[in-house]
Parts: sequence; structure tokens; C-alpha cells
Amino acid sequence: MADPWTSERQAGIAPPDLWDPLVRISHWGIAFIVVMNALFTKGGSPLHLWLGWIGMALLLLRLVWGVLGPVEARFSAFPPSPRAALSHLRGLVSGRAPQYRSHNPAGALMVYAFWVTLAVVIGTGLLRTGGQTPMQAARDAAAVASGDWSVLVTETDGGGESRFGTLPGEVHTVAANLLLILAALHVAGVAVESRAMRRNLVAPMLTGSKRRRG
Amino acid sequence: MKVPFLKPGSQRRRPVAVATFLVVQTLAAVFFVGDALGELLSDADGTHSSFEMLVAVALITGMIFGGMELRRTLERMRTQEAALAVASGALADVIRAQFANWGLTGAEQDVAFLGLKGLDVAEIAEIRGSAQGTVRAQLTKVYAKAGVSNRAQFAALFVEDLLGASLVEPVAKAG
Ligand code: HEM
Ligand code: HEM
Repeated sequence: MADPWTSERQAGIAPPDLWDPLVRISHWGIAFIVVMNALFTKGGSPLHLWLGWIGMALLLLRLVWGVLGPVEARFSAFPPSPRAALSHLRGLVSGRAPQYRSHNPAGALMVYAFWVTLAVVIGTGLLRTGGQTPMQAARDAAAVASGDWSVLVTETDGGGESRFGTLPGEVHTVAANLLLILAALHVAGVAVESRAMRRNLVAPMLTGSKRRRG
Repeated sequence: MKVPFLKPGSQRRRPVAVATFLVVQTLAAVFFVGDALGELLSDADGTHSSFEMLVAVALITGMIFGGMELRRTLERMRTQEAALAVASGALADVIRAQFANWGLTGAEQDVAFLGLKGLDVAEIAEIRGSAQGTVRAQLTKVYAKAGVSNRAQFAALFVEDLLGASLVEPVAKAG
């Protein structure tokens, strides 16, 4: 018989059974976009720009939600603290890591690293394209295709390199690869944490079907 | 205990719909504002920019209302889930909090809980591997601390919770 008494939720120190839909949608949307753009779409192609811009919108929405969202989605629930992260990792090794209301401190660092790197990738991508939306890029491409080369002239950067030279493009590619490395660490971290805490961390990011019984 | 008319699954679909709508609104706002800014920067004639400003403001306002609606839906759902939790097993938490309030010792809490579950003195004694006299004495202490005189009254304190009355303060006993 399971101990009928235990429920950390009552004390407010258990992670959510199910993340709110906005966290879930933005997570899987961003994960899909990062994998697609870093590995499968051609850099600078219309699809690449569309996905990149959608990723930017999802990131913006998630950041706003970090202030306005429910408690466990707010930045204040998972402050970046390398010291807490280290002590959490030590706790994991010795099997005595506590529960947290939101991301654990090590996971929280990972989350901020993701967001910063993603912002760098998107920012350099925008620099690289002169801030053109995919629609504008398509319009210009159509104009060029129909023989109107003037759009190329009005572009100060001449369609090739931006005003900052090749730097944004290089930073963009490096940061994109960094995202992939982070993602690998992230998935490994989720697996380790799930094992150590004997709790499925992925289910609450999906449908939360593994509901804990009271 | 099953509460058939409140299926968590069906409740959870509403916030997902609201969130999806919010995502679509955000996409519209980001793409529209990006496009308008791009045009503003490339050909600096301000003819249609005031109209675009209006649309941008409308889109962003829609986003804010969408966000507030999502927040409200989530909060309402959580209140309902908390009520449902009381009905379906997390009542144990409510009971435990109340026991602690009364200052029951660990052993008394266990005995009281088994008593609430309907076990009689002999059964409790067997489960706990203690003498029936001990259990009887413990139950008497529990009832005294709760300010009631028998098991029926004791159980009634918690039935109130199920019926939706105040959760924790049937008896405020100085202790
Ligand atoms: C989710 C985020 C993104 C990831 C993971 C990503 C990843 C990448 C990678 C790996 C490359 C190099 C591809 C290659 O060399 O063929 C690349 C190129 C490029 N990306 Fe992105 N990207 C993202 C978002 C964006 C955004 C938002 C924009 C523009 C608004 C953009 C514009 C470009 C351009 C113009 C190139 C060509 C760069 C060059 O050749 O110098 N990317 N991207
Ligand atoms: C490139 C791919 C990915 C990126 C960029 C990414 C990014 C993120 C971010 C930013 C968060 C924080 C969520 C928030 O608070 O909004 C997060 C959480 C999470 N991610 Fe990912 N993720 C990726 C892939 C994955 C994959 C493949 C899995 C499945 C194994 C996964 C499982 C999780 C889980 C379970 C959490 C919640 C962790 C917790 O309980 O604290 N992620 N991820």
C-alpha cells in the first residue's frame, strides 16, 4: 500500500504534474524549429526564415509568460544560480536532491543558456538578412525573378553580407551548433534527472498522463 | 473515490485551445510588426504607417487579452482541481494538516487515520502490532484533542470538508 499521507503538492514544493499549455507549445515548437533549422533547412532559405521568425515569436511569448504566467512558469520560480545548480548536482550524486516547484537549479541554468543562445542565433540571423521578414524576402525574390533588379540596389548591404561583414553569419552558425550541443546535454540531463528522482519529467511536458496519485 | 462528472481530460482542453489561439495571435503580431518596421525603414514615406500602427496596437492588445484569459482559465482550473483533489484522495493531506493542528503524536495520527477508514479497535491493534488497550487509549486521546466524544463525531468533522465547508478549522482548541 502506498503511503496515503504523502503529497508534496500540499506543501507547494512539487514540480507540476503538467506544464501549462503555453510552456508546452513553446517548448516543442522551439525544439522542432531548432532541430529543423540547424540540421535540415538551407541557411537563408525562405523556409529557414519562416521557421526562424516563428521561433522568435515563440521565444518572445515565453519570455512574456515568464513574468505573467502561472507561478511555476515565472522566472522567479527558477532563478539562475550556478551555486544552487552545483549543490543540486552534488545532491543527485549522493541521492539526496530535494524537490523543486519548477525547473531544478541545474535545469534552470540550461534553460537560460538556451534562451540566450537562441536570442543570439535569431539576432544574428536578423542582422544577416537586414531584418527582412520572410514575406519581404519572398517579395524581393519575386521582384528580382520578374526582372526588377532595383530591390538589390536599394538594399544597402547588397544582399550578400550585412553591414557588419561576415561576422553575424559566422556567429549565427557557431551559436546554432552550440544550441545543438546544449540540446544533447539537455536531453541527457532530463534522462539522468528522471532516473535519479524516479519521476518521469517528460510526461508533464507532453500530456501529463502519468498523473501522480494523491 | 470517483467523481464521474469532472473528467480532468476534458477540462484540460480549454486552456490548450486558449494557448493555441494566443500563439497564433503572437505570430500575427510579430510578423505584422516586423513587416511594418521593415517598410518604415526602407521607404520612409509615412502614408500608410499610421494605419499600420493602429493594426499593430490592435494585435498586441489582442495578445495581452489572450494572455490574461489564459492565466484566468488556468487559475480557475487549478481551483477546481484542488477541490477535486480533496474529493479524490488528497483529503488525506487535509486530514493530516488537521491532525497536526490538534497536536496529535505520530502514533496517534496513524491510529486516528485507520479509525477514520472504518477499522475497529481489534483491527487497528493487529495492523499496528500493539495491544487493544493501547489503541483504545490512543483513540480516546485523539477524540479529546479533537474536542469530540466518539468516532462518529470525529468522522463528521471531515465529512464537512468533503461537502465543501471550511477546510481547516472545525475546532480551534488551545492546546
Ligand atoms: C531557430 C533558430 C535558427 C537556427 C538553429 C539556425 C541555424 C542556422 C545554421 C546552422 C546555418 C548555417 C547553414 C549553412 O551554412 O548552410 C544558418 C544560416 C543562415 N541563417 Fe539561420 N538559424 C536560425 C534562425 C535564423 C533566423 C531567425 C534568420 C533570419 C531572420 C536566419 C538566417 C540565416 C541566414 C541568412 C543564413 C545564411 C548565413 C550565411 O550563409 O552566412 N536564421 N542558420
Ligand atoms: C533542440 C531541442 C530542445 C530545446 C531547444 C529545448 C529547450 C527547453 C527549454 C527552453 C526548456 C524550459 C521550458 C520552459 O520553461 O519554457 C525545456 C524544458 C524541458 N525539456 Fe527541452 N528542449 C529541447 C529538446 C527536448 C527534448 C528532445 C526533450 C525530451 C526528452 C525535452 C524535454 C524537456 C523537459 C522534460 C523539460 C522540463 C524539465 C523540467 O522538468 O524542469 N526537451 N527545454
